[in-house]
Amino acid sequence: MLDLLWNGLINIAQWKYLLPLFAGTFIGVIGGSLPGVTITMTVIVVLPFTYGLDPLAGLAAMTGVYVGGSTGGLIACCLLGIPGSPSSIATTFDGFPMARNGEPGRAIWLGVWASVWGGLLGALFLVFLTGPLAAIALEFGPWEYFSLFVLAMAMVAGLSESSLLKGLISTAIGLLITVVGHDPIGSVPRFTFGSAFIGGGFPFLPVLIGIFAFAQIMTDLEKLNSPRGQAAESLVGVKLERFSHLKVNLEIFKQPFLLAWATIVGLIIGILPAIGGSASSVMAYDQAKKFSKTPDRFGKGHPEGIIASEASNNANVSGSLMTIMAFGIPGDAVTAVMLGAMTIHGIQSGPLFISQNPDIAYGIYAAYILAHPCMLLICLALMPLMLRVTSVPMAVLAPVVLVLCVVGAYALNNTMQSVYVLLLFGVVGYVLVKLGFPLAPLILGLILGDQIEINLVRAIMTDANPWLFLTRPISGLLLLAAATSVGLAIWQHWRHQKRIAEEAPDF
Amino acid sequence: MSIGRDGITGLILFAVSLFLLVKSFQLPSLPIVPVGPGFYPAIVLSLLAAASALLVLQDLLKRCAPACAGDAPRRSYRLVVIAFAIVGAYVVLLPLVGFRVATVLFVGALQAALGRPQTARQWGVLAAIALGTAMVSYFVFERYLLVLLPRGAWTGF
Repeated sequence: MLDLLWNGLINIAQWKYLLPLFAGTFIGVIGGSLPGVTITMTVIVVLPFTYGLDPLAGLAAMTGVYVGGSTGGLIACCLLGIPGSPSSIATTFDGFPMARNGEPGRAIWLGVWASVWGGLLGALFLVFLTGPLAAIALEFGPWEYFSLFVLAMAMVAGLSESSLLKGLISTAIGLLITVVGHDPIGSVPRFTFGSAFIGGGFPFLPVLIGIFAFAQIMTDLEKLNSPRGQAAESLVGVKLERFSHLKVNLEIFKQPFLLAWATIVGLIIGILPAIGGSASSVMAYDQAKKFSKTPDRFGKGHPEGIIASEASNNANVSGSLMTIMAFGIPGDAVTAVMLGAMTIHGIQSGPLFISQNPDIAYGIYAAYILAHPCMLLICLALMPLMLRVTSVPMAVLAPVVLVLCVVGAYALNNTMQSVYVLLLFGVVGYVLVKLGFPLAPLILGLILGDQIEINLVRAIMTDANPWLFLTRPISGLLLLAAATSVGLAIWQHWRHQKRIAEEAPDF
Repeated sequence: MSIGRDGITGLILFAVSLFLLVKSFQLPSLPIVPVGPGFYPAIVLSLLAAASALLVLQDLLKRCAPACAGDAPRRSYRLVVIAFAIVGAYVVLLPLVGFRVATVLFVGALQAALGRPQTARQWGVLAAIALGTAMVSYFVFERYLLVLLPRGAWTGF
């Protein structure tokens, strides 16, 4: 395994891979540092550039975006008091107060170094645990796969911020989009109504780009004329004070338990499908506060808060990569785009991915590891630029991002049909967001829809007994976990409503 | 008892899922497969119909406290409508005038709509960004990455 990793590192160190990795990391850091531009949107913007590249070069660029974006978000957190990307939300709690206390440099660099160490610790798990996880996945039959996908969707729907019901509806809409077109077993056209436009079904990437990018950009445009968060107190243009990188690192390593625990929290959240970096950073922050000897200092510029949040959100990336490589399930929206990019290049992710494509699998590991020093170099060299980039206006960003979205959709098949699908689902995504429907379950339904159907039909074709889904141990356990997840979500919702009712004043 | 936004959404989704559910039962079955092509869509649509019906019910039963209105930040939907209209025009123009011309027009129009320039210098910056976006993306995609971009039926390029 170490030989393969070494070969992967040597392979990625070639210019044809290193350059896309470096460029991707740079774009990721910049995209992450722009408030309102998420990592998903940044990776969507980079996607069309990867079409003409070698598959590994494209995936290296995307891995770079993912790592860079996870770190870049902390710059806006510390200077503006608003997260550059949702995954760094918890960094705002202590990063911004520390910066306002006259230590913006310490705040930013504590975050950058914690990201590096958290990410690299996560890499250990990525390299050594993905293979065993894939080996477990290889034992799965169609029953287990079906149940695993159901569990993934139940978890995502259950963790929806708005409501479980809306999460379930969103999941069903995602699944419904995948049944339009020819059925995967007998090629019978379904719900096409004789239209050539939807005869072949909706291509995955234009739907994904439309739903995510449009929903994000249009929601940002609504707020264009209102003051930006705490901009009145923002520290844009501030010069960083003199500080020592050695001291910052010592500060991190004085608390090895915090670093390790935040990494593990991030990793586990990353492995669980589509929960995302924002949950991991908030959960790690919460854990750090609970374990801290000085919990009262949290929220006032405490270094422990920054370390926990940033180490966790970079480790979250390695967890998401594990899930996509071992099970073929995207850990979040960014890996969903990566999955789409793999499909374009004819690569099937899943349990056989590592054994069938060792060069690419170990290349991704190597790209993930090398993205961290790349990110560090970029931050060291270009910090003054990044301190200014947070003030780029949305009026300039939005048109450029939308052009790249259109190019990304068009270049898939060189047809305008994909662009029409992009626009159609852009409207759908925006409307769903305005109606309070979460998009993550829809995307997961969209990605897993075909696989769920194929595995369901395969299981029935092998043995028509439906009880096998429950009586096969792994499948039964997975379905039980899915039911528990939904049950927990209902219970939490009920408890939340009860608390609101208790706190509401009597009129 | 009045119906709210969630209730109306639920009703629409319920109607659509019932309509498609009927259509899924009309799909032809295949002799070699024990379940027909409508089997899985029927499960999904049943789930959607049930969840939509529950959403309607939840909306009808919900007692919204005054706090529900909240202090939502001021939002400008006018800009969103304009932005969608400009994107729509861009998508229509792409196959007619080609990527380069359509992109210059699109980037320029959307920038002007989102933040109207006041001085000649600001108009210059706007034009430079519009031209720069079209030219850089054209050269990077067509010349470097060999990704073909839309040609215009009217312009020929």
